[in-house]
Amino acid sequence: MNQPAISNPVYRWLDRRYSLGNLVEFLKHKEVPLGDHPMVWYYLGGTTLFFFLVQIATGLLLLLYYKPGEASSYESIRFITTKVPFGWLIRSVHCWSAHLMIVSLTVHMFSTMMLKAYRPPREITWITGFLLFAIGLGFGFSGYLLPWNELAYFATSVGTDSVKAVPGIGEWLLQVMRGGHDVSINTLYRFFALHVVALPLLIFALISIHLLLIQRQGMAPPLTHESKGPGMKFFPNFLLRDLLLWLLCLIGLMILAVMLPYGPGVPGVEWELGLKANPLQPAYPGIKPEWYFLWIYQLLKEFPPHLWVMEGPQAALLMVSVLMGSWALVPWLDRKARADKPSPGFSDYGVGAILFVVFLTLKAWDIGGHGHGAEVDVRAVARVCAWWTLGLAALITVFRFLVYRHRWFLFSGGIALHVALHGLLGMSYLRALVAAAVVVVIAWALTLVTGSSARTMRRVSQ
Amino acid sequence: MTQPSSEDLVSRRSFLDWLLGLGVVGTLAAAILPIFRYLKPLPQQGASGPVHLSAQDTATLDHDQFVIVRSGATRLLVFEDSSQKLRCLSAKCTHEGCTVQYVPGDGVIWCACHNGRFDVDGRVISGPPPRPLEAFRVDKEGKDIVIDGKLT
Repeated sequence: MNQPAISNPVYRWLDRRYSLGNLVEFLKHKEVPLGDHPMVWYYLGGTTLFFFLVQIATGLLLLLYYKPGEASSYESIRFITTKVPFGWLIRSVHCWSAHLMIVSLTVHMFSTMMLKAYRPPREITWITGFLLFAIGLGFGFSGYLLPWNELAYFATSVGTDSVKAVPGIGEWLLQVMRGGHDVSINTLYRFFALHVVALPLLIFALISIHLLLIQRQGMAPPLTHESKGPGMKFFPNFLLRDLLLWLLCLIGLMILAVMLPYGPGVPGVEWELGLKANPLQPAYPGIKPEWYFLWIYQLLKEFPPHLWVMEGPQAALLMVSVLMGSWALVPWLDRKARADKPSPGFSDYGVGAILFVVFLTLKAWDIGGHGHGAEVDVRAVARVCAWWTLGLAALITVFRFLVYRHRWFLFSGGIALHVALHGLLGMSYLRALVAAAVVVVIAWALTLVTGSSARTMRRVSQ
Repeated sequence: MTQPSSEDLVSRRSFLDWLLGLGVVGTLAAAILPIFRYLKPLPQQGASGPVHLSAQDTATLDHDQFVIVRSGATRLLVFEDSSQKLRCLSAKCTHEGCTVQYVPGDGVIWCACHNGRFDVDGRVISGPPPRPLEAFRVDKEGKDIVIDGKLT
């Protein structure tokens, strides 16, 4: 079929040199698949990319004035925010877009999980997305130290100390990260190199692979039973909507950056410069890492000093590694989705993960604790946070039951039981977790047994 | 002269492939190993002798009832307990490495990061720290406060 010629002289000039016909043809036929689920989930990869591009632009601008060094890091950030025209705005936009990028990235990952977009042949796309999520967190962690203030110092101290739990190479890794035994200006030099050179190179490579795979394989279609026939044209229908959303994101970002230049003031979501780092000052009460690390921070608190042959922090980080590892391997573990069948167990696994992280994060914020630092009533915190988490669990369950007709609630139910045992009945966090896990395993076994007997009965009666 | 069979040729090719692969791996290892060694920082010098508290440190101790000082790569917490006895412990929490502080009212050492508590001898009272804080010998010689090695 003859293509209508594009009369634009620039296009023709380029086409003569680079044969753009194939690209135009590809864009004409590119479609976004439609299904039972809302379209909004398809825009989150684009919004993540948008916030990342804002990060690059504002990061470059900050680099014009930022001077890494013991006597200059903190001072140069103060100079940027107090003396440089609109320096406060550039830093505010950089910090806000960093947090919004992590929000968008997290929701994108969970929506991909719920829509089962990881099923074959898109396993590698999922893995590159998972790695992009890890690098996104790495950006946040390495950037946190650069202002060289008190919060940065202790957050990095705790964050880097946890790597010593890695078997075999932990101590070596700790020293390589810190540039010595303790967090010092050497750590800042290393984190600066990581933040502005190594991680950007890595993330550009991974984003390229991620996007190339999506272009090559197309966006993941819904499961067959959820599909709604032909999809939406990518160009221009989807692209224009995407760009409109980018514009809305930019407006939202600017409003937040102007109205709240130092963050909303919630621990873990604030970037007030505060005092300069002083390793000879004790950590101050109420110190918290960034919000997306709060659940790990709280888990480190919940584990006892020793667990079997391991020290508490080692056991906690082993648990985090197992959870993250199982998350990365979902495309291979979810055998039903591989066969293009509904896999309610893995949807429930995703909901369980949300409840698990929400409960720990709320606890880390000491919600309902009435006090600061050592005075916080930990029992009251556990109780109040348990009620909030159970309320959220009930809402999600009713929604899934009525709207999506889900009937599989074993994992989310297990987490709800764990939350209730710990928060409402006062069991220790770990005992409650083990008790809930035992109940889930027994219930699962019963489901399998009753399911297989029902199948046998059906076969016999036939 | 006998011609080599096709099987001989394949095995010779496999051998050359194997040799080439080994060469590539060896070259990469030779390039990467120095980088790994380069990344690890040089060992820091520890304190070679006793540490004397400066006049400013002593003033902080009098005012706050504790002070944190450096001895080589180690941070040390010097404080006076409720019986006015001078004590010195490692200031690095054994849980996640935060800097601890002395809480005079409660007579405990507290880590604000994960709410770990130690008694004045450095033993864990509550919270997640897995090990006690190391104790150091500290003496007052006139107005001079001297820290001199670990207590066994």
